Amino acid sequence: MSDALVTRPCVYLDHSATSWPKPPEVVEAVVGAMTAGGANPGRGAYAMALAASRIVFESRRACADLLGVPDARDLAFVSGCTEACNLMLKGLLAPGDRVVVSSMEHNAISRPLHALSLLGVRVDVVQADETGRVHADDFERAVRSEATRAVICQHASNVTGSIQPVADLADIAHENGALLLVDGAQAVGHLDVDLAVLQVDAYAASGHKGLLGPQGVGVLYLRPGLDAAELLQGGTGGGSSEEESQPQGRPERYEAGTPNTPGIAGLGAAARLLIAHGAQWRAEEQAVFARLRRGLVAIPGVTVLGPAVDEPCVPTLSLVSDRLDVDRIAFELDRRYGIAVRSGLHCAPWAHRTLGTLETGAVRLGVGRGNTLDDAEAVLAALREMLA
Amino acid sequence: MNPGPRRFIAYGFASVHDALAAESALEAGDVRVTAIPSPRALGELCGVAIRIAPEDAEAAKAVLARAGLPPRGSAEIDDI
Repeated sequence: MSDALVTRPCVYLDHSATSWPKPPEVVEAVVGAMTAGGANPGRGAYAMALAASRIVFESRRACADLLGVPDARDLAFVSGCTEACNLMLKGLLAPGDRVVVSSMEHNAISRPLHALSLLGVRVDVVQADETGRVHADDFERAVRSEATRAVICQHASNVTGSIQPVADLADIAHENGALLLVDGAQAVGHLDVDLAVLQVDAYAASGHKGLLGPQGVGVLYLRPGLDAAELLQGGTGGGSSEEESQPQGRPERYEAGTPNTPGIAGLGAAARLLIAHGAQWRAEEQAVFARLRRGLVAIPGVTVLGPAVDEPCVPTLSLVSDRLDVDRIAFELDRRYGIAVRSGLHCAPWAHRTLGTLETGAVRLGVGRGNTLDDAEAVLAALREMLA
Repeated sequence: MNPGPRRFIAYGFASVHDALAAESALEAGDVRVTAIPSPRALGELCGVAIRIAPEDAEAAKAVLARAGLPPRGSAEIDDI
């Protein structure tokens, strides 16, 4: 075994970065797609190729069922939420367009928007409040002030766990002739997401965070009829190989090249598990998160960023201390106590600027499936000891 | 008297996803179905098509219409 794979037992609280451990069913599905179903899906029609094709087909259906998507063809498998965000932004925006975006966005949104701004897309930022929550009224004012092609907002913050008013933003966008494009990386799996109810135009989701799938896979939902240009052209394996141009049908249009079948298989298995157990798992992780939040705000010198303790959140929070820098806290939690957390800016400098922590960073604790109340107590005890 | 070669009907679809969705719907509708490489007779050289027995054609059409998966094309082909 590679030394890189040797780890010691730990309290894992970095679910906002990626969930761990993955459910055994997910691991088995990944292995199955590399063994019995190891052919290239959507290409040949011999037994193993069809098995691989059916893995992708069934996984797409499971993800659609989980996310409330009526037609599974409207979900494209991509390499992750970053690719999904790039596709929905670059596929839908053109020079001269104006977009309105929240100040809490992750680099998966802000960097593609920066690149688009250099091409002539105008980016207007709506400031979130000091707890990281955006307000629909602020968006409404911004959208009404000038013609707007798209409203762009995360569903939940990867720094504070704040849940954004996506359904309200959909109404505002549509009443003003704009699209609503959502980064759902931190929401799916941790919230009961129903895209048919939310009425979003595009929704990007990570497969490996709250959805519990493997890394290297994500999904992009595009509402029926929305004509987003594809980022890549290439082989799609279907009945249009002789055509010079990329097929325009879904999902092939957005899936050029051999897909990540093992990742898709794992994500499909995870989606089926979440359909069966998601409500229970969400309740369990919220119980752990609530204990953690209540305990942290009682530690002298610790400031928990984000909404008030009793406000609904996805199970992610960040903190700073007036005793130790955040990198030291994260390092010592790992070294002394075997507690895995992440310090820094969490690929979200916009969010940290909003929260006033761009210069200091923060320590982020992300709770997820498998965490226990004992984990919360272990972290609280460690921080009390370190920061006393 | 030689009854002649057995024949089958091949249905083509817009995508592999649609072909597998058709397979799934037909199986659920108790129509015997086999996924096959798209035959040249459908005007395609790649992808997946659906094969059924001629006597199941009417039942298959009804199932596919209910499922919102009308075939992009069909061909009756001699088996070997």
